[in-house]
Amino acid sequence: MPRKPRRKQRPKSWPVTFSPFARALARMASVSKPNRRSKSIESSEKPTRSSTSNGSSKHTLEERPEGSESSDGEFDGVVQADFAFFDPKPNDFHGVKTLLQTYLDVEEWDLSGFADLILEQTTVGTVVKVEDDEDEGVFALATALNLWRYREQRCIMKLKEFLLLKASQEKGVGDQLRLLLGERAHNVGLLVSQRVVNLPPQLLPHLYDSLFNEVSWATEDEPTEDLRNSFQFKHYIILSKIYKHKNAEQQKRKRSDDREEEIVYVKPEDEIFHELSSWSFCFPLRTQQPAPHELKNYRSMGLIMTVEADKIPTFRQQLASLINEGWRQPEGV
Amino acid sequence: MATRLQFENNCDIGVFSKLTNGYCMVAIGGSESFYSVFESELGGVIPVVKTSIAGTRIVGRLCAGNKNGLLLPHTTTDQELQHLRNSLPDQVVVQRIEEKLSALGNCIACNDHVALTHTDLDRETEEIIVDVLGVEVFRQTIAGNILVGSFCALSNRGGLVHPHTSIEDLDELSTLLQVPLVAGTVNRGSEVIAAGMIVNDRTSFCGSDTTATELSVIESVFKLRDSQPSVIVDEMRKSLIDSYV
Repeated sequence: MPRKPRRKQRPKSWPVTFSPFARALARMASVSKPNRRSKSIESSEKPTRSSTSNGSSKHTLEERPEGSESSDGEFDGVVQADFAFFDPKPNDFHGVKTLLQTYLDVEEWDLSGFADLILEQTTVGTVVKVEDDEDEGVFALATALNLWRYREQRCIMKLKEFLLLKASQEKGVGDQLRLLLGERAHNVGLLVSQRVVNLPPQLLPHLYDSLFNEVSWATEDEPTEDLRNSFQFKHYIILSKIYKHKNAEQQKRKRSDDREEEIVYVKPEDEIFHELSSWSFCFPLRTQQPAPHELKNYRSMGLIMTVEADKIPTFRQQLASLINEGWRQPEGV
Repeated sequence: MATRLQFENNCDIGVFSKLTNGYCMVAIGGSESFYSVFESELGGVIPVVKTSIAGTRIVGRLCAGNKNGLLLPHTTTDQELQHLRNSLPDQVVVQRIEEKLSALGNCIACNDHVALTHTDLDRETEEIIVDVLGVEVFRQTIAGNILVGSFCALSNRGGLVHPHTSIEDLDELSTLLQVPLVAGTVNRGSEVIAAGMIVNDRTSFCGSDTTATELSVIESVFKLRDSQPSVIVDEMRKSLIDSYV
C-alpha cells in the first residue's frame, strides 16, 4: 500500500518512555481530552472525511481536535493525528500482540501464534495506525478468523477449549457453542476487535465497514474455492469485556443522581452486538484491574456472544447512528 | 544454556526477574510454572527468591545487583527489605538507597567487576554502587540512550547491547567493560535487551518469542554453550591418543 514519505515532525518534549507503543499511547491520551485548551487559536474543527478507495487499500480518517499546539516546550497541547487503516503486516507483530495480551484472561496460550495467524491473513483484517508514524504503533485491530480453516492451530484449539470451559458453567449455551466450534465451524468466524482504550469512537463505523467489506470481497476475490467459501460466515463469535454491576439484583437507587446501568460496555459496539446476539453469557475474569472511581460498583467480566451474519447490516447502521449522535466515551473507561 | 520462557503470556521476563551469579529474584504473583523453571535450572546452586519491590512485580527493573550486593529503590517497603536480607546469602549486602531515579534496573547495568550507569545518577549513588557492588562505575550511554540498564545485558563473560550501537561505541564499551560485546536483539526484534532476557555466567533465560538466531547469538556471546565442537574433539583426542610416535 503506497505510503506518503515520512515527515520528521515531533514536538520536542514527548514523554520519555522507551517503548514506542507507550509513546504512541501517551500521544493518544492527549488526543482524546478535548477539554485541554492552553491557548485557543481560531481553529475550526474539520469534519471527518474519508476518501473511498478501491477494493484492496484503505481509507484515511482525519482527526483534528480543537485546541492548539503549545510552543513553549510544555506537552500540554492537543495532538493532531491522521489515522490510517492498513492490511496486517509481519512488522505489526509486537503491536498486535500487545493488544491481544489479555484476550484469554490469564490463560497461558500460544499468543504469539495467534498474532502471527492474524498477520498472515492479509485479505481480511485491518490494523489502525497513525499516518507517518515512525514507530508504527498499532492502535486498533479488527479481523475475522474462520474457525474451521485454522482448526489445527494450537492457539485456536486452546481458544476453543477456553470458550467451552467458560460455557460449561452456563446452562444451555454449552451445546450451542460446541456445535458452532465443531460441526458448524465451516461458517463461523471469530470476530477479534481490540484497541487502545481511548481510540476516538469516530473511527469505529469505518473500521467495521472496512472489515465487513473485506469479508464480502474475499468471498469473490480469493484464489481458491475453499478460501472463498471460508469467508461465507453465517455466525460470528465475539469474546469481549464488560463491566457488570456488582449488585445485579439491586433495583433501588438511593442517593445517586445518575442511574447506574447494569452493564457498562468497554467497547461501544458491544452493546449493539449484545442486543443483536443469538445468545450470550458472561463469566468472571481472574484479572481484576483496579477500577476507576466511576466504576467502583462494577466488576469486570468476560462476555461471549454470537451474532448471525445476516444481522450485520443492522449492526452497521446502528453503530453509525450511535457514534454520529455525538456520543462520547466517559473518561477513564 | 539459554532457556525460553514467559511470564503470563508476556515475553519480557527481564522485567519480572533478576539473575546474578549469587542469587535469583522472581516476582510473586506469576504462575508456578514460571517459578519452577528457575528452580529446575538453578535450584541448589543459587537461591531463587520470590519477592515484590514497592508492592510491584517489576522487580527486575527496580533493583540492580551482582554477587556482592543488591541495591533497592527508596520505594521498597521495610518488609520487603527484611525478606530479602533474610533470603539472600549472607555475603550479599542488601541496601536501600535514596535515589530519585528509582528504577535502578533501568539505570544501572553491572556484572561483578564493572557497572555502566545513567548519566544523571547522583554522586552519592555512584559511591554506594562502588562500595556495595564492588565495581568500577562508568557513566555512559548506549546507542544514544541514557537508560543503560534497559538496553544491555551484561555478565562477566560477555554483553549484548542495543542493535543500533555503532561499531565505535561497541569498541569503546568493550574496552571499558573488558568483555566481548555484540549488538543484537531479543524477543523477535525487541531492542530492550534487559527486559527480554536475564543472564549470569552459567545460564540465561529469554522471552519465548526469541528466535533461534537471537538465541544462538546470546549463547555465543555469553559463552553459554556447554560444549564447543573444538572442546569435544580436544577432550576425545586426549583419551584416544596416548603418545605420538
